[in-house]
Amino acid sequence: MTGAVEPRAGAAVPRRAVPAPRRALALAARAGVVLAERAVMLCALLAVVFAAIELLPGDAASATAERGESAAAAAAHRHLLGLDRPLWERFTNWMTALPAGDLGTSARGEHVTDLLSAPFPNTLLLGGTAFAVTLAAALALGYWGAARPGGPVDHIVGFASTVTLALPEFVVAVGLLLVLSSWTGLLPAVTLTADDGSLASWTMLVMPVLALAVPQIGWNARIIRGALADQAGAPHVIAARLDGLSPARVLLRHALPGARPAVATGIATSTGMLLGGAVVVETLFNYPGIGSVLAGAVADRDTPVIAGVVAVTGAVISLVLLGADLVRARTLGARP
Amino acid sequence: MNVNRRQVLRTGGGIGVATLLAACGGGRKTSSSPADADGAGGADGAPRKGGTLRIGALGRSSAITRDPHGNQGNESDYLIIALVYDTLTAPGLKDNTVGRLATGWKASDDLKTWRFTLAEGATFHDGSPVTADDVVWSLRRLRNTPAGASRLPGIKAANITADGKDVVVLVSDYPNAELPLLTRLSTFVLKKDTPDKDVATAPGTGPFKLDRYRSGNARLLRNDHWHGGQVHLDAIEVTMFESPQAMANALMGGQIDVASNAGSVAARTTSSRKDIQVIRRPNDMAMPIVMRTAQGSPFADPRVREAVKLVVDREAMVKQVLSGYGTVANDILGTADPAYAKDIPQRKRDLGKARKLLGEANFDLSKTYELITTEDIPGLAESAALFATQAREAGIKVEVVKQESAAFYDKTWLKGDFYTNYWGTNDSVVFFASNTMVTDAARNEAGWSDKDFDAAYRKAIGTADKSARAKALHELQQIEHERSGYLLWGMADGIDLAAPTVHGLPRLPGYGRVQLESVWLSR
Repeated sequence: MTGAVEPRAGAAVPRRAVPAPRRALALAARAGVVLAERAVMLCALLAVVFAAIELLPGDAASATAERGESAAAAAAHRHLLGLDRPLWERFTNWMTALPAGDLGTSARGEHVTDLLSAPFPNTLLLGGTAFAVTLAAALALGYWGAARPGGPVDHIVGFASTVTLALPEFVVAVGLLLVLSSWTGLLPAVTLTADDGSLASWTMLVMPVLALAVPQIGWNARIIRGALADQAGAPHVIAARLDGLSPARVLLRHALPGARPAVATGIATSTGMLLGGAVVVETLFNYPGIGSVLAGAVADRDTPVIAGVVAVTGAVISLVLLGADLVRARTLGARP
Repeated sequence: MNVNRRQVLRTGGGIGVATLLAACGGGRKTSSSPADADGAGGADGAPRKGGTLRIGALGRSSAITRDPHGNQGNESDYLIIALVYDTLTAPGLKDNTVGRLATGWKASDDLKTWRFTLAEGATFHDGSPVTADDVVWSLRRLRNTPAGASRLPGIKAANITADGKDVVVLVSDYPNAELPLLTRLSTFVLKKDTPDKDVATAPGTGPFKLDRYRSGNARLLRNDHWHGGQVHLDAIEVTMFESPQAMANALMGGQIDVASNAGSVAARTTSSRKDIQVIRRPNDMAMPIVMRTAQGSPFADPRVREAVKLVVDREAMVKQVLSGYGTVANDILGTADPAYAKDIPQRKRDLGKARKLLGEANFDLSKTYELITTEDIPGLAESAALFATQAREAGIKVEVVKQESAAFYDKTWLKGDFYTNYWGTNDSVVFFASNTMVTDAARNEAGWSDKDFDAAYRKAIGTADKSARAKALHELQQIEHERSGYLLWGMADGIDLAAPTVHGLPRLPGYGRVQLESVWLSR
């Protein structure tokens, strides 16, 4: 899904000649087209999910069966779950109920919307915070490194970001657990929830967010650093520097705007990684999010639950990618 | 080999975290004697009233079930349900079956008709009295679930009836001296005619009542009018944990007071913490290797099965697979049963005899035999791997094949020639005989059919006379030891971890761990 937003930083020349109303209209049109594209892709993805689960050995009826179930009971269970109907029919039924917000029923008889109602906001909070932290930290580090190309800070940021982007989330998580919880007792080791299903304390968010964000900060800091370096060679940036403006001003006001498409693309691709990493991080910190729902649902071959998770996360990722597209379009000029 | 990410995480990430934390936790070398829990009402004097117990239990949010008669895949769900609702009978330590909502039971002379008398003055949490009609309705509801036939085997729904206000009559299709055993685990009693949509919040009769529930976590309050006696705690907060390691971390960080069924890896992690109680509940989990006994299997010859049982180094298995948290077993399932035959000589490793038996049976040693295993519970795949190494020393080539859980139950369970399996209910010899070993057992895992065994089983459950029954049970175990398809090398301890302030935790294996009514806090 990320292929649609390749960076084209080299072509980044701000266009100021297009009149504003026409530009807004073009942007809206582009957003509409992209949104439709994404919706079609999401549907295709859901079809693939349905088919893929079908290919796994076993089905929801056997995976959630009690050990003592007779063959007749298993068949009845299968019928109850609709697993005796053809795949396309189950898919169509599920898809047609989707616009009404009905995500179906789990293999254990719970409504999927109920299963996701508490975990999904929690994952959005985790992912959203990690996203914000990633963006802020990566911008700061990339900018800091680019301020003096080849300087010691640049080297350190370059090295550190390479190391962290290669770290799997669970390694970061274990390190954080050791230092911040086991040794110092500064932060609670696991996430507990309050009566309403939200987090009992904001401190429980710190380690999961860092575990998710650190590898992504590494990745994005490198992208931002590279994009700023590319911009350094652009004529208007060279001109600004020759005009005697301060390096900080040149970077912020002249180089950064041109680097925006690359930055947006990098951070947008991180969204998928952040939500994917949530599966691991949520388990380690017992964070009550959607990742643990997904992991369990795959083990249970619980197609409606898996498809429900894919649908809501897919929608979020699509929106973020759309945002990135719009940023690009704004910078590069609207070309639907 | 099919492994999903969750399992990779469990085994790879989980153990990685465990060893790392263990390696870094304090760095002290501790003696191998973990802090031991005091027994119920032990040296610390009389139980104190009050306090909230925060307990962690394993569960997955995708598998949440709130129906007391549903298929509870989550330990956390079962714990909550078992605290809110009472079963007719319950597992006991000295007697295998003790009363719960039923205080007494009596069989007819033919051992088919059983009359259960309900506890006097038992009420639901809303104050209404428990009647035999409520119990009959609940048992019939249980019997009519998909797995009902195995939960109440031999008892048709129509044969569950009320006799007056406080007697429930169960009529079995065949004589069954062990029938009260069947009513211990899932006979949760709800009010008659509770609609399905209200089942999750329906009042129970248990020692605690539901205060709130959200996404697998619950808060329960003491039931001051419990028929079973004094309950000490004010409240219990149950938190669901996806991984045992996160649960152990929460305990070490003081976020919970008890980590229920945390397992040996977590116990090892906390071993540097002297203040954490490691409560070992022996005979908790059986992890047998199953050899198919039916014709066409390489293990059809009983001599081959005996040889394989002689090949395994049981001490090494317990030490390495269970980190020492377990005991050596003797190829008889149901080790916690008071009727377990302790006098049958322990089978030991004897490679010479094994080779001789294999030779006599013309066992093909040039072939490689696949041992199918899963990573459903910690240590299971490791047990298969270690066994394969040990078998190689006897010249048997064993290749371990890991299957993902759903694939295993779809393709291998009940069908395969050679696989590992696990059972969490180990307090009854008869349970295993009836469920997995008699010829027509629904879950005859080894495809076993042995006339003498079947006869001993029928005698054991159809004899009212105690000593005659004991004799039959002994004979049954002797045959099982000699030639069944089960290689049971050891029994894993159930391991609960607890803060030093927690007292009176249950010591029972398996589902007995949920009996928290006598727990109290000393803070």
